[in-house]
Amino acid sequence: MPAKELSRPCMDCKEAETVFTVRKRQLCRPGKTQEVRPKILLPLSLGVSSSVLLSMVEAQIQHQLAKPYGKVFFDLHVLVIDPSSINPSNASIDDKYKVLLETFQSPAYTRLSIHDIFDYVPDMKEIIHEYAGSQFADDSSLSNKDRLSAFRASISTATSAADLDYVLLTRLVAAVAQKHGCKSVFWGDSDSRLAARALAGVSKGRGASMTWQVSDGMSPWGVRFEFPLRDLYKTELLQYASVCPELSDIVIPDAPLSDNVLTKNLSIDELMIRYVQNQGAKYPGIMSNVARTANKLESSCLEGGTSCALCGGPRGNVKGNTGVTATTQSGDSEGSQFCYGCMRSRPDLKC
Amino acid sequence: MPPDSLQPLTKSNSGGLEILFSNERKHTITLPARLDDAGQPTIAYLLGHLVDNLMKDDRKELFIMEDNVRPGILVLINDADWELEGEENYELQQGDNIVFVSTLHGG
Amino acid sequence: MAPTTCFNCKEARAVIIRPKNRHKLCRACFIEVFETEVHETITGTNLFFPGERIAIGASGGKDSTVLAAVLKTLNERYNYGLDLCLLSIDEGIRGYRDDSLETVKRNAKQYDMPLTIVGYGELYGWTMDQVVEQIGKKGNCTYCGVFRRQALDRGAARLDIQHVVTGHNADDVAETVMMNLLRGDLPRLSRGTSIVTASGGSDIKRSKPLKYAYEKEIVLYAHHRQLDYFTTECIYSPEAFRGSARTLVKDLEKIRPSSILDIVKSGEDMAALVPRDTSQDGKSCKTTAAAEEENTGGCGSQNGRTSGGEMAAMEKQLTENETAEAHETEIQLPQKGAKNTKNTVKSSKAVKSQTLGHCLNRNRPKTAIEVGIEDEEGSSTLMRQMERTQLTNS
Repeated sequence: MPAKELSRPCMDCKEAETVFTVRKRQLCRPGKTQEVRPKILLPLSLGVSSSVLLSMVEAQIQHQLAKPYGKVFFDLHVLVIDPSSINPSNASIDDKYKVLLETFQSPAYTRLSIHDIFDYVPDMKEIIHEYAGSQFADDSSLSNKDRLSAFRASISTATSAADLDYVLLTRLVAAVAQKHGCKSVFWGDSDSRLAARALAGVSKGRGASMTWQVSDGMSPWGVRFEFPLRDLYKTELLQYASVCPELSDIVIPDAPLSDNVLTKNLSIDELMIRYVQNQGAKYPGIMSNVARTANKLESSCLEGGTSCALCGGPRGNVKGNTGVTATTQSGDSEGSQFCYGCMRSRPDLKC
Repeated sequence: MPPDSLQPLTKSNSGGLEILFSNERKHTITLPARLDDAGQPTIAYLLGHLVDNLMKDDRKELFIMEDNVRPGILVLINDADWELEGEENYELQQGDNIVFVSTLHGG
Repeated sequence: MAPTTCFNCKEARAVIIRPKNRHKLCRACFIEVFETEVHETITGTNLFFPGERIAIGASGGKDSTVLAAVLKTLNERYNYGLDLCLLSIDEGIRGYRDDSLETVKRNAKQYDMPLTIVGYGELYGWTMDQVVEQIGKKGNCTYCGVFRRQALDRGAARLDIQHVVTGHNADDVAETVMMNLLRGDLPRLSRGTSIVTASGGSDIKRSKPLKYAYEKEIVLYAHHRQLDYFTTECIYSPEAFRGSARTLVKDLEKIRPSSILDIVKSGEDMAALVPRDTSQDGKSCKTTAAAEEENTGGCGSQNGRTSGGEMAAMEKQLTENETAEAHETEIQLPQKGAKNTKNTVKSSKAVKSQTLGHCLNRNRPKTAIEVGIEDEEGSSTLMRQMERTQLTNS
C-alpha cells in the first residue's frame, strides 16, 4: 500500500496525523506508545546469572528514563518459579522474593510453582498421561502438586528426570510469556551454562532443538528466546554480582559441585556442567565457542515439520537429514506424537 | 565346601588389556571362598585383587576408574555381559570364566 | 541370579544387553540382529550397486575385521553381487604394523578375499619409523593421518576401485560430532555424520557402513563370532585418547547407553540446520573433503579418534583468533558503595560486543566468526615440512 502523505505525522508511529501534542511530542493519540511497547519476560531463578541479567535490564530501563523526554522501549515482566517446587530440598524464597519486589520496582512480577503448568498448559495432564504410559498411574483426583510429584516419581533415571524438569520449566515459561503477550523471553544463562546445555542436548538426541534452547531464535510457541549473557563467563557474572550490594539479599549462591559422585549416577546435564567447568578451566576459549557454534544453526530449516506434544521440538528427522537412525534404527519414535529426545526419557525406558 | 577353602576361577584379557597383566591373556586365580566379613568374593573384590596382585603395569587408571572398571572395558561373566549378572556385585562361583575386553584400541 | 532368557527367541540364555534399547539377546539372535541392522543401513542409504567393486580398508583391528566379516556374510546372504577385497596400509612401524598385517593376511584367507598392501615406504619414501626418527613422537600421528588418507586412495586407484569402505563406528561418529561442536566447525558439522564422503583429490568414494553400530557391539560381535583381530595399540600413540572427546563419549555411554546413537541423531539433524553458505563455503574444495571426514589421527589404531593435544591446539588457535579479532565485551561494573563511579572490566573474548541494546533490537546479526583448525590445509603444509626435513636430512 502506498504511504499516505501526512502533513504532521505522529512522532511515535509515523503512520497517522498528529492529534495531540504532549510535552512538545506530537502524537496521534496519547498512550499509544505504551500499547506498542514490546513486552519481555525474564525468568528469574534467583541464581547469580539471571539476577545479574535482571539488574542489567533494570539499569537499561533507568538509563532510558533518565534521558530527556525519556521513555522506555519495552516492558519487563519477571517470572519467579519457586525453586522449592522443583526440588523440595531448596529453601523457601519468601524473604528473598520480598527484597526483590522492593529492590526492582519497575517490572511486573509473577510467582509460580512448577506444578502450575497444569493451569497454564491445560493439555499437559493428557500429554503426560499419554507420554508416561503404563508406568505412571495418573490420578485425576490429586492436586496439581501431587499429580506432578507422581509423574516425576515414575521417571527412573537422573538423566530423564533432569531432562523432563527442564522441558516442563521451559513449557511453563513459554506459556506465561504467551499469556502476558510477551514477544521475547530473556534467559539468564551464562556461556558455560549454554555450552553445557548444548553438549547435553546433543547427547540426549535433541540437537534440532538447539536453535531455540541455546541459540537466539523463535521457540515453538511463537515467543522468541534470547540469551543475552551468551558471551559472558560465569566468573564475570559473579564479579558483577559482587559489586552490586542490592543483589546480595536476593541471589541464591550456587551449591558447590560435590566431588564424590560416581559418573554413572550423574545426569547427563550434570556431567556436562562438570565437563564444561573442568575443561573450561584449561580451555576457556573452546567452551565459550560451543554456545556460539550452536547459535549459528538456522532455525528456519525447521519450519513446516510437526512438533513434539511435550517439548515442542521437531518430530522425526529434520528436513534434509537423510540419516536412517530415527526412522529405521530406533523404531520407538516412529508414529508417536513425541520426538526422539522425549522418547529417550520415557519412564518405561531404563536407559 | 568348607568356608576356608579356596576357589579357582579363570580370568582372561583381550583387546590389548593383556599388556597390563604381564602380557598373559589367561590367568587362573584362586580366591578365598569367604571373606573376612563372611561375604562371598564379588567382581568388585576380584578387581581389587587383580590390581594388588596380578597387575604388573603401574598405570592402574588404564583399568580402574572410580573404583570400578574403566568405561570402555567390557566385562563378560561366563560369556554374558556383566550387566546381566549384577555387575560388580556378582558373587563369584567356582570355575567362573571372567573376561575383560577393551574396546579402546584401534579398529 | 537366574539366567535371563533372550528377548527375541525367548529360549536361549541372554548374553548381551543392547546399548541402544536395552534388549537382552542370546548369542545367535544378537549376531543376526547386528547383521540385519548393517544390512538396513546399506539398503536404506543405497550404499552399493550390484557388481560394484569394494575395497575394505583393513587394519587388522576390530572394526575393519568385523566390517569384512559382516560384508562377506551380507553379500552372500542378500546377493549384493559385490566384488570385495581387502586394502591395507603398511605405515612401516616395526613391532606394530608388521604384526597386525599378519592378522590381515590371515583374514584374507579366512574370508577368501584378495589382499593388497601399499606401504608408506614405496609411496612416500618414508616409513613412519623413519618419520619418528626425524621428528620425534610428538605430532607424528598427524603425519600418519595425512599419509594414510592418500595411501588408501592410491591403493584403490592402483586396483582401479572406486569405493573404499572403512570401519568407522557410531562411537567414532559421535565423537566427531562432539569435537566439531567444541571446535565450532560448522562445515564439518554439516558433513561429518554423512555415511558417504568424497575422497581427496580423486573420484574415489568413501563410506562407513558401520556408522550406526556401537563399538561395544562390534567388540562383542567379534568376540561371539570368535573373529581373529589384532588388539595392540600403536606404539607411537599409547595414550592418545586421554582427556579427549572419546572419554566424554564413554562417560555418556555409562550414564545412558543409548546416548552414542542419540548424538549421531543430533549430529544428523544439526547437519541439516547448518546454513547453506557455510556448509558449502570455499574451504570445502575437493582436495580436503576426505580430510574433514576423519579427525587427525585417523589411523587404524586411533580410528578417527582425538587426542588431548588437539584440545590444547584448538584452544591456542582460538586465543590467536581473539587477538586478531580484538573484539571485547564490556561489562559496566558498578563500584561498591559509590554508585556514580563506574569501573569497566573488559573481558578478553573473541566475540562481537553484544550489548543488551543489540539484543533488544532483535535484529542483531548472528555472530559469524569462523574459528577452527585449518588442518584442511594440513596436507600441503605437512608435505612442505616433510620436504624440509628431507633436505636437512640429506
